[in-house]
Amino acid sequence: MANDIKISIKNLYKIFGPTPDVALEYVKRGMNKADLLDQQNHVLGLRDINVDILSGKITVIMGLSGSGKSTLIRHLNRLIEPTAGEIRLDGKNVLDLNEEELRQLRREQMSMVFQKFALLPHKTVLENAGMALNIRGSKVADFESEAVKWLARVGLEGNENQFPHQLSGGMQQRVGIARALVSNSPVMLMDEAFSALDPLIRSDMQDLLLELQGELQKTIVFITHDLDEALKLSDHLVILKDGEVVQQGDPQDILLNPNDPYIVAFINDINRARVLRVRSIMSRDVDKDTDYAGDLSEKDNLETVLSLSGGDTDKVFRVVRNGEAVGSLCMKALTRALVPSSD
Amino acid sequence: MATYDSLFSALGLKDWCAKGKEDGPMSMADLLAKAKGKDAEPESLWDVPFPSMDALNDSCAAFPQSRELTKGLEEGFLAVKDNLSLVLDPLTQPLSWALDGALYGMLNTPWWIIIPIMLAVVFLVTKSWKLVLFVGVSICLLAFIDYYEYAMQTLAIIFVCAFLCVLFGVPIGIAMSRSDTLQRLTIPVLDMLQTLPPFVYLIPLIFLFSVTESKLYGIAIILYAIVPVVRLTNLGIRLVDKDVIEAADAFGMTPRQKLFKVQIPLALPNIMAGVNQTIMMSLAMVVIASLVSAPGLGVLVLRGIRNLELGVGLVAGLGIVILAVVLDRVTKASLARINATQKQ
Repeated sequence: MANDIKISIKNLYKIFGPTPDVALEYVKRGMNKADLLDQQNHVLGLRDINVDILSGKITVIMGLSGSGKSTLIRHLNRLIEPTAGEIRLDGKNVLDLNEEELRQLRREQMSMVFQKFALLPHKTVLENAGMALNIRGSKVADFESEAVKWLARVGLEGNENQFPHQLSGGMQQRVGIARALVSNSPVMLMDEAFSALDPLIRSDMQDLLLELQGELQKTIVFITHDLDEALKLSDHLVILKDGEVVQQGDPQDILLNPNDPYIVAFINDINRARVLRVRSIMSRDVDKDTDYAGDLSEKDNLETVLSLSGGDTDKVFRVVRNGEAVGSLCMKALTRALVPSSD
Repeated sequence: MATYDSLFSALGLKDWCAKGKEDGPMSMADLLAKAKGKDAEPESLWDVPFPSMDALNDSCAAFPQSRELTKGLEEGFLAVKDNLSLVLDPLTQPLSWALDGALYGMLNTPWWIIIPIMLAVVFLVTKSWKLVLFVGVSICLLAFIDYYEYAMQTLAIIFVCAFLCVLFGVPIGIAMSRSDTLQRLTIPVLDMLQTLPPFVYLIPLIFLFSVTESKLYGIAIILYAIVPVVRLTNLGIRLVDKDVIEAADAFGMTPRQKLFKVQIPLALPNIMAGVNQTIMMSLAMVVIASLVSAPGLGVLVLRGIRNLELGVGLVAGLGIVILAVVLDRVTKASLARINATQKQ
């Protein structure tokens, strides 16, 4: 199951305006976003998006506001209808579904977590968490145990009978996550889920999400405008700009080989030592004779290595996976990797 | 020779005008002018009349006079009246029954049952002993000065009419919130109902229904008071947080579930504000409706005006104020309770 494609987005276009079909022709002929707005009075939302979302992984879609990331995630459960293209969930085109089938898909296949939480203010935390089951027709008594279990899992034991407005933002978003988990859907869509939270809480929530993901292996599509968050969470990173995919792939890869000035500008500000991991910069050869200063896991980040080395740039470490040496890392290579490549 | 003679000759309508030459009824102004014997007036630019229907009629007898407009309207109304009441009468008959029933019930149940029931209802919707006390004191005060019966009549009418306003107003508001076309069509009607002077409602109704029927004032009150609940239901549903609606969609709610589980509950504070306004407006109208035989405190106010019974008029007016305050406080308190559970 590990590398199966869960959702596949193919040649997806979205154009906002009165006659998107006409505008689509111009876009396909290569008109850019500014010209389209100027000459045709249509807004280009998404242009030719092709993304494969792997089962059981976290796919992060990153971009600044206006890049179309929120538009893109809303196409997955058709809260927004595309102008052209395909979205396949388990090989089945989502766009062919009729209203009833679409409703079933939203109820059972995909759950969503929102930036502004979007909880029902007149329902208790428990009822909010059980919303998905309630929609399918369960009474409170039926979904109570399930809801209580997941609320406890996200750290909200004892808050079941409070109302959302009595909770802090972070706790409200925990309810939002519990709500998505209770629905027991294989896919979770998270639309800037942590953007409205303050940095410390955000970091907690990211840890919580990674921890849950370790257990549950859901297919998560996560939207963010924050590169640090994207790098922390993503297995697969998609960077959007003006409705187009600029680069996608392994986040470490993107960091080391950015292919666009836009991305270079983006990654200049981040703490590379914390984000880059040993596996991305190690060399594959293991020399039996070298005197290694110590063993590293390939998942360690460079910050850990730096503190281990005590700042000595002459040291060479051995990289081990499951007790087996898989490569080596010399501190000089590490230091080079800390500076963004200028070519 | 009148001012606009030349206009009609220029248009070549002289013949058509002459055809209409017959002695129609004279207006008061004509008579006065004739009496003064100055039919041929001096033509100064200063005196040029606006080319109104009457001024044009002076020059061309075939042109209709303005009073023919009002007369035509009246005749038109009278012509459709019989057919209209044939349809409206049975449709509105239940309203008469409801009003008569409520009045009978309120007046024939002994006060020591009615007052505790009312206080219990107040407590149920507000959960405030202070308000229960206030309402109790107010009603006992009215009863003490022997205005109990009138006050109960007024209350009975308000309860029936406000209930019907909510019964019809909320669904209309919901329908408006779902369709922009319907909203565009309904808003001018609501505007008209709200700005039409209350007395004007009574005029066509008097023609349509007998003054002895209670539905006459019932309809007037409902038409006047239904506006705020319709407006605020529409507004309330349209104002429901778009994010919550999106979440409801994303989790696969049917439109029906969305309406009953999300939109109506979240619009409830606004709907309740509309109900409060509706109740206050039915109180205002029930006083005016005493002109068409609506019983209650309004009758006393009317008596005060007609017979110059200053004391009766003032005390009845004060009684209305007390009822208004009671109704307003109770509905506001229940509104506040709803708001408290809805904070975001």
